[in-house]
Amino acid sequence: MDYSETAERISRKFSAKGQTVDPKKIEGKLRRLVDEFGVLPSEAERSVTNELLKEFNLPIAGTGTGSSPGGGTEQKKIADAIPGDWVTIESRVVSLSSPASPAIAQSGILADESGAIRFVVWAKANAPAMAEGSWYRIESAVVDEYKGVPSLKVHSGTTVKELGTENPLIPVPVQVKDLHTGVGSVRAKVVQEWETTHDRMLQSGLLADETGTIKFVIWKEPGKERLEVGSVYSIFYALVDEYNGRLSLNLNTATLMQEEGDMPTISGGEVAIRGVIVHIAPGSGIIKRCPVEGCNRALSRQNYCPIHEIQPNFVYDLRIKGWLDDGEKTHNILLQRDVVESLTMITLDAAKEIAENNPLGMDEVFLRMRDLLLGRYFVCHGREIDNRLLVNACERLTFESGEHAALLNRAGGAS
Amino acid sequence: MSMNARDVGKKDGSFEREPARRVFAAELRECRYQFKDGDDEKSPTFVLLPTGERANRIFLVGTLTEKQRQGEQNLFYRGRVVDPTGTFFVMAGSYQPEAMQQIAKIETPAFVAVIGKPNIYQKDPASTPMVSVRIESINIVDKETRDLWVLDTAARTLDRIDAHAKGGGKDIGKAKEQYPTLNPAVFKKMAYEALAQIKM
Repeated sequence: MDYSETAERISRKFSAKGQTVDPKKIEGKLRRLVDEFGVLPSEAERSVTNELLKEFNLPIAGTGTGSSPGGGTEQKKIADAIPGDWVTIESRVVSLSSPASPAIAQSGILADESGAIRFVVWAKANAPAMAEGSWYRIESAVVDEYKGVPSLKVHSGTTVKELGTENPLIPVPVQVKDLHTGVGSVRAKVVQEWETTHDRMLQSGLLADETGTIKFVIWKEPGKERLEVGSVYSIFYALVDEYNGRLSLNLNTATLMQEEGDMPTISGGEVAIRGVIVHIAPGSGIIKRCPVEGCNRALSRQNYCPIHEIQPNFVYDLRIKGWLDDGEKTHNILLQRDVVESLTMITLDAAKEIAENNPLGMDEVFLRMRDLLLGRYFVCHGREIDNRLLVNACERLTFESGEHAALLNRAGGAS
Repeated sequence: MSMNARDVGKKDGSFEREPARRVFAAELRECRYQFKDGDDEKSPTFVLLPTGERANRIFLVGTLTEKQRQGEQNLFYRGRVVDPTGTFFVMAGSYQPEAMQQIAKIETPAFVAVIGKPNIYQKDPASTPMVSVRIESINIVDKETRDLWVLDTAARTLDRIDAHAKGGGKDIGKAKEQYPTLNPAVFKKMAYEALAQIKM
């Protein structure tokens, strides 16, 4: 392999910066990396370049490919900034969030006409505090990646200047299916609200538009309000994260505008799934709900609501959470009170009676319903959202002799 | 499974549960190959069905003809569940307290539905491997459910045989490698005989 060309290239790069490096010396380093250590030639070029940059105290080019290492900083639009770039941008601070660590002075979201990006100002950067809504020219910042999401870092070598422009930015919402990790704006409807799984969580649920659905979460913070289920919102600059291969919107950074009227969502499609109930989850049967207006959360056995604490004047309800298995895929199902009543023939009143007059209490209702449903065939109709089937009707499957005959033919046919 | 209310909500939408495959006793009995998908301690274990499908969990319906309580310190139950093609060996140990309570209540003979995990055992290297099913849930059902299961299982088995004949999938390739002498046509005959036992 010939390294002289690469060595020449690196050497020229440094003469442009006023430094002289002997191409022979560079070639020796490259050869050692590639031949002895099995490093890829492009990686070797990058690593030798960075080593020399360090030697001459020049800024290092991050994780960029060898194309323009240390090539100074270019003025860019946010949409064009990729991890590894050194950039100068003019952008507006559209959101500030509380820094996650004392090493961070400020964090939030920057935006220009082309897009938006998360940013972090290191405490060590000694940069002037930026104000939400103002425009700044940020020179020589680094774009890197944190958990696969691009983020702009303001460090001690970065200069931040307020621009004094009053240019209002109107982000263009994308469709749910086009969201990707980073920062996103959408117009969507709140189609589901879930039980909060964490004390610090204010609300979580599902947003939908015509193209798809996405989970959202709002963490408790002063001034944060819950979204109204069934309402349409314009959401500007939410954080889009990925968990277990699924996208999720964190709305704490976002500007939310509740809109009038309705919008079509993807969840219009009804499905019918035929399968066996293979598991009935705890929390099925008769449950107690929080009586506080608009809450309705399931209470623990001790009548404890995650938000409103002890609620002795709870309201009883019926529900079944479980898994419907068709042999190829297992569907998470949720049956509300009316479906549970028609399927088990146990009404809410009858269930209350059982729960209050039986030594096992509420467990007795769970056990009776489990014995009635588990291991049996059903056809469940409903809407499947985010892998959970919200069942609005469900019936026992019955034996069809036509199906039997067809299968006999199929199995007995030319073998 | 505990009945503790704190468990509620642990299973969010992101969790994919392994489906319960439908398989007749006569096919399950032929399984010899068991593998793990992934190196993690918690990666699921599968048995490879001779018709070319991996099964981490199965669903079966049949007649519980015998059950036995065994062990003193480590109490467990063994049972035999019979379908039109043969016998499933099922068991529930102290790690499946709910399954143990369920099987303890059932009087034989009875139609039962079982959801459980198949495992291949070998007493010693010289003996024939045995497939047994660790019960997750067992429940008394009616004859109609049994008949529905025979239809369902025959249909799924025929689907697998068709896919096996076409080739393709990686589990099918694995099955051809692991069970070179097994002809899937025997399972077609088995499915026919199972169906024929249901009175028209």
